[in-house]
Amino acid sequence: MNSNFSCKTCASADQKLETFISNLSVDTSHHRMEGQSVKCGFGLQGICCRLCSNGPCRITPDGPKGVCGATADTIVARNFLRAVSAGSGCYIHIVENTALMLKKTAASKGVLKGKVALAKLADIFEVAEADEHVRAEKIADMVLADLYKPDYVKMELVEKMAYKPRFDRWKELGILPGGAKSEVFAGVVKTSTNLNSDPVDMYLNCLKLGISTGLYGLTLTNLLNDVMLGEPSIRLAPVGLRVIDTDYINIMITGHQHSIFAYLQDRLIQDDVIEKAKAVGAKGFKLVGCTCVGQDLQLRGEHYKEVFNGHAGNNFTSEAILATGAIDAVLSEFNCTLPGIEPICDELKIKQICLDDVSKKANAEMKPFVFEEKETQSNEIIDAVIESYQARRAVVTLNMAADHGNDDTLTGVSEGSLKSFLGGTWKPLIDLIVKGEIKGIAGVVGCSSLTAGGHDVLTVNLVKELIAKDILVLSAGCSSGGLENVGLMSPSAASLAGPKLRAVCESLGIPPVLNFGPCLAIGRLELVATELAEAIGVDLPQLPLVLSAPQWLEEQALADGAFGLALGLPLHLGLPPFVTGSPVAVQVFTQDMLNLTGGQLIIDDNAKSAAETLDAIIEKKRKELNI
Amino acid sequence: MKIVIIGASAAGISAAKTIKASEPDTEVVIISKEDSIHSRCMLHKFLGHERDAKGISFIADDFFETNGITWHSNTTVIGLDAQKKTVKTHDNQDIGYDKLLIATGAAYFIPPIPGLREAKNVYGFRDLKDAQLLDSECNTAKNAVVIGAGLVGMDAAVAMLMRGLKVTVIEMTPAVMSLQLDQKSAQAYQQLFEEHGAAFILNDKVVSVDVDEVGRGKTIHLASGKAVPADVIVIAAGVRPAFSFTEGSGIATNHAILVGDDLKTNIDDIYAAGDVTGMAGIWPNAMKQGRIAAINMLGEKLLYEDRYALKNTVNFYGLTTLSLGNINPEPEENCNIFIREDRHNYQKVIIKNGIIQGVIIQGNIAGTGFWQYLIKNKIDVSGKNKDVFSLSYADFYDLNQDTGEYNYAV
Amino acid sequence: MKRIIIDREKCDGCLNCNIACISAHEEGSNFYTVNMQSPDAETRNFIKFDAQKGYLPIFCRHCDEPECVLSCMSGALEKDPLTGHVQYDESKCAACYMCVMNCPYGVLKPDKRARTKVIKCDFCDDKPDGPSCVKACPKKAIEVKEVSL
Repeated sequence: MNSNFSCKTCASADQKLETFISNLSVDTSHHRMEGQSVKCGFGLQGICCRLCSNGPCRITPDGPKGVCGATADTIVARNFLRAVSAGSGCYIHIVENTALMLKKTAASKGVLKGKVALAKLADIFEVAEADEHVRAEKIADMVLADLYKPDYVKMELVEKMAYKPRFDRWKELGILPGGAKSEVFAGVVKTSTNLNSDPVDMYLNCLKLGISTGLYGLTLTNLLNDVMLGEPSIRLAPVGLRVIDTDYINIMITGHQHSIFAYLQDRLIQDDVIEKAKAVGAKGFKLVGCTCVGQDLQLRGEHYKEVFNGHAGNNFTSEAILATGAIDAVLSEFNCTLPGIEPICDELKIKQICLDDVSKKANAEMKPFVFEEKETQSNEIIDAVIESYQARRAVVTLNMAADHGNDDTLTGVSEGSLKSFLGGTWKPLIDLIVKGEIKGIAGVVGCSSLTAGGHDVLTVNLVKELIAKDILVLSAGCSSGGLENVGLMSPSAASLAGPKLRAVCESLGIPPVLNFGPCLAIGRLELVATELAEAIGVDLPQLPLVLSAPQWLEEQALADGAFGLALGLPLHLGLPPFVTGSPVAVQVFTQDMLNLTGGQLIIDDNAKSAAETLDAIIEKKRKELNI
Repeated sequence: MKIVIIGASAAGISAAKTIKASEPDTEVVIISKEDSIHSRCMLHKFLGHERDAKGISFIADDFFETNGITWHSNTTVIGLDAQKKTVKTHDNQDIGYDKLLIATGAAYFIPPIPGLREAKNVYGFRDLKDAQLLDSECNTAKNAVVIGAGLVGMDAAVAMLMRGLKVTVIEMTPAVMSLQLDQKSAQAYQQLFEEHGAAFILNDKVVSVDVDEVGRGKTIHLASGKAVPADVIVIAAGVRPAFSFTEGSGIATNHAILVGDDLKTNIDDIYAAGDVTGMAGIWPNAMKQGRIAAINMLGEKLLYEDRYALKNTVNFYGLTTLSLGNINPEPEENCNIFIREDRHNYQKVIIKNGIIQGVIIQGNIAGTGFWQYLIKNKIDVSGKNKDVFSLSYADFYDLNQDTGEYNYAV
Repeated sequence: MKRIIIDREKCDGCLNCNIACISAHEEGSNFYTVNMQSPDAETRNFIKFDAQKGYLPIFCRHCDEPECVLSCMSGALEKDPLTGHVQYDESKCAACYMCVMNCPYGVLKPDKRARTKVIKCDFCDDKPDGPSCVKACPKKAIEVKEVSL
C-alpha cells in the first residue's frame, strides 16, 4: 500500500499492540497521528465558527468577535451544543432501532432470552400484561412513543427511570427533556446561524440532551437488548488479537447495535451453515469482537460461547485486527467503524458489508437490515463471506499475534450480575466502602483515543493510579477494550491495587477493574450508582463516586458527559472538549455546575495529578457522609 | 590607521561601531563635549524623572572598553589643521588622525529677541547638560514656558508636566508639531496635553522678555499683547549645525558642512555625518550616515542614497502617529487627499499621479513601516486598484528564495 | 544565522502561527489555555491574503541590514553578533517607534495595551527546539534554515 504517512506510530499502553502495529505494512490511525500532530489552536479552543459565509470567523486579538458579533462564549457554546446534539442523535438512533427490533421480535413471537430484564422493565414501566411477548411489545411501544414526542411534550419514562432526587432537581432546573429525537432537532436549530447566543441557555440544553441520551440511548438500550439477547453473566474470557482463530471463517463486527446480529449469530452455528464452511475448508464461522458491539457480545458471551470467539480490541485496534489477514469480512452497523479500515480491506481483500446506512463505508456493500427479511439477508451475508474467504485465504499472508491479550479477562459485569455476585444485595459492597476497604468507585468510561499520550495511555495510567489508591474501577466503553488487553481486568491485576482493594479482590477472585462492556453500559453504571444511592438513602452527588472519560473521542462521548454532569457526578476528561476559548464555558463546567446539578468537570491529562484530584473528591464525599 | 571621530551621538557612535565591527585593528578615537553618551530623543524621560542619566544611554556600559575605542570626554574641539591632519582641543592638545569624521551635530538657536538671550533661566533642550540644568530649575519653578511647539518643545513640555509644573507652550504657527502633523492630528495632541494641564498660545510670537534684577526672565511678552509669567524658559525654536571649529580649515560649508554622496567633504580623509551635514534631520538617518561614512573611510565605496528625512513618529500619552513626506500640500500642488477616521484613528494619504506624497497615520500604527518605502522610492500604486488605506507590504510581497529575505515587487 | 524560511505556496492561512506566537509569550500557557482575548495577546507574525497571490506570511526576517536597529535611538534593538537575530531589550526602549516606521515590511508594531514597547519577533529566545510558530505550522510553510549572514 502506498504510504503517505509517517513510519513512526504513536505510543500505546498496549506494548504488544504497539510493536505489532509498528511492524505493519499497512497504514493505521497509529501511523497517521504523526502527520496530524500539529493541531489548529482555534479548533482546540472551540473559537472557530463556520456557520455562515462571512466566516470562518476565528477569535483573535485583532478580531475578538465574529463578523455577526458572536463572542468566543457564544461560538464555543454553539459548537458544543451542536456536538452534543449530534452525539445524542447517535445514541437515540441506536435506542430507536433497538426498540423497533424488540417490538418486531415480540410481535413475531421471537425468542426473548432475558426474562429478568423483561420483568425489571415491566416493573419500572408499570406494565402488567402477563404474556411476555405482549409485555415486551408494550415496553417497546412506550419507549418509541417517548422518542417520537415533540420537544414541547416531556417524555413520560424519565420520571419512572430516574432516581427521584435527580428527577426533582432536573425539574427545578427546567431541563426535563421532551421527545428525544425532537430535542436533537431543537439543539441543531438553536445553534444555527444567528439564533441562540446565550451560552448558559445552551449549556442547560446540553444537560437536557444528556438526560435523554443517558436514560434512553444508554440505559434503555442495554435493558431492551438484554430482553432480546439475554442478561450478562460474569465469567472469564479471552481477549486480544489471540482470539482470532485462523481455522474458522472470521467475521469482525463493528458498531453499537447488538440486536442487528441477533439472528445472524444464531444462524452461523446451525449445522447447514457449518457444513457450508466445512465445504470450503474451514471449521465453521466465528464472530470476532471489535468496538462496542464486540463488547456487547462479550458481555453476554455466556449465551454465545460457540459463535463468539472473544473481543479482540477497541476502535483503534480495528485496523490491526484486520491487518492480521485472518478476518474474512467486516459487518458494520454503526460507529466506531473507522474509514481507515477501507484501504486495508481493499488491500487484504476483506469483504465489507454495512447493515445500517448511517455507517455506510465508501467501498462497502450496503445491505440495510430488514427484520422481515433477516433469514434471506443472513443467508446472503453468509454466502458473501464464504466467497470472500475462498477468494482471499490462499493469497493473503497471515500475520497473527497469538501472544497478544490474555485468556482470563473477567467479563459479563452488569448491574444485575454484580448484584447477584454479591449475593443479591448491594450491602456487601456498601459495607466495604463504609469500612474503607474500598475507598470509592470510579467509572472510567468512554472511548479510546490516540491523544493524551497515545493509544489508551492515559486511560491505563489513570486506572493504575486509581486502583493503587484503593478505588474500585468500573469501566464501560472502548476504555474497557484497552484495559482488558493490558490485563487490568484479569484477577491477577489485584496485585496492582492498593493493599485494601487488593485484599478485597483476592478474597473474591476478581480484578480491581470491572468490565461492564460497551459505552452503552455507562447506563448500567448509572443503574449501579442509583441503586447504591437508594440503598444508602442519599442523592447521587453525595456518593464517593467519580466519573472519568480520560480519552473521550467524539460527539457521543460529549453527550455521555452531559449525562454524567446531569447526574451530578464529578467528571474528569484528559483533554478539554474544545471549550477553553470561552471563559463562560470554563466557569460553567468547572464551577457553576456544582450549584446546578452537583456535577463538575475536571480537565487534566496527567494521570497522577488527575488521580489525586479524583481521590481528593472521593475523600471529601466520604467525610461528608461521615465514613 | 587611526580614525578620529568628533561627536558621540547617533552618527559618531554608529560610525565607531561600524569601523570596529569590520576592522577591529583600526584605531578609533572619539572626542566629545559631553561626559556621557545619551540619546537626545530620550531627554524628556530624564527630565520627567522616568529615567536617570544612565537610563538614556543608547550604548552598553562597556561599549568603549569592549570595542577598544579611546574616548576623550568633556573635550571640545576648537580647531582643525587639514594639512597637518590634527585637531586642536580646548585644553590645547593636538590630536592627529589619518581620517576624520565630523559628527558634531547641531546646537540650539536662541532668536535675537530682547531679553531672551540675556536671561539666565533660558535653556535649550538639546543634550544632557541642558536637561540637567533644567532639572534643577524644575525643583523650584512653578511656571514654565516653552517657546516652540515642535517635537523638541513638546518633549520638554511633557517632561515638565510630569514634574508638576504649569506649562505654557508658545508657537508661531497655528498648530503644534506643524512639521509632522496637520491641523486635525495636531489637535488630538494639543487636547491630550491640555488634559494634562498644558496651555497653548498658538499663532503668536515672543517679542520681548522682562529680565529681573538677578538676570532671570520673568515675563514673556507676545505680539498679541499677552504677557506670560515664567520661572523657567525653554527655547525650542530650531537648531543650527555646529561646525565653528572648521573655520579656516578649508572645509566647504554652507550653513552646514557640505559632503558628497560618499559623505566626504571637499578635503580628502575628512568626512561628516549627522546633523552637522544639515541633511540628517532625524536619528535613523544620522545612524545610517555614520555607518556609511565609516564604510567609505575604510576604503570601500558606499553611497548615501537613502536621504529621505521627512519622516517621524510621535508618541505622547500613548497616542502614536506616523508622519511621512508632504503632509500639508498646497492646493496648487494638485494632490489627491484621502482621509479616513474612526474613534481611535485618523489616517491621511496624499497622492499625486499614483505616487504617495505623504502619510499621516494616527492611532494604530502597527505594521506601517512600508509607507516610507513607497514614498521615498516613489512607487506608483495606481496599478494596485485598491483602496489606498488597505495597502500593506503584502501588495509588494516578494521573497528571495535563497536568503529568505523580503524584497519589494514593484 | 538561522532564519525562518517561508514557502508561501504552502500557507493555508490557518493562523496557527499567530496562536503559537501569542502562547509562547504568555507564560505557562498552551494551545488550550492561551487567552486570545487578553489585552496582552499580541502576535509577532502576520498572514495577509491577496486575491492573486494567496496567503502571504509576513515574519520578521532578522534582516542582514536591519533597518529597525539602525533607527533605534535607545539601544533597545541590537543585532546579536552570534545568532544574527535582532533582539529587543524592553527596559531600554523609549517607545519612540522609529523602528515601526523604518521596518520596510511592516512587521513591527507598538503594543496594544499602553504603547510603551515594541512587539517584535524574538526568535523564541533561540530556544533549542526552535521558534513556536514553526512547530505549529501544519503545512510546514515556515521552516528554520541556516542562511549565511
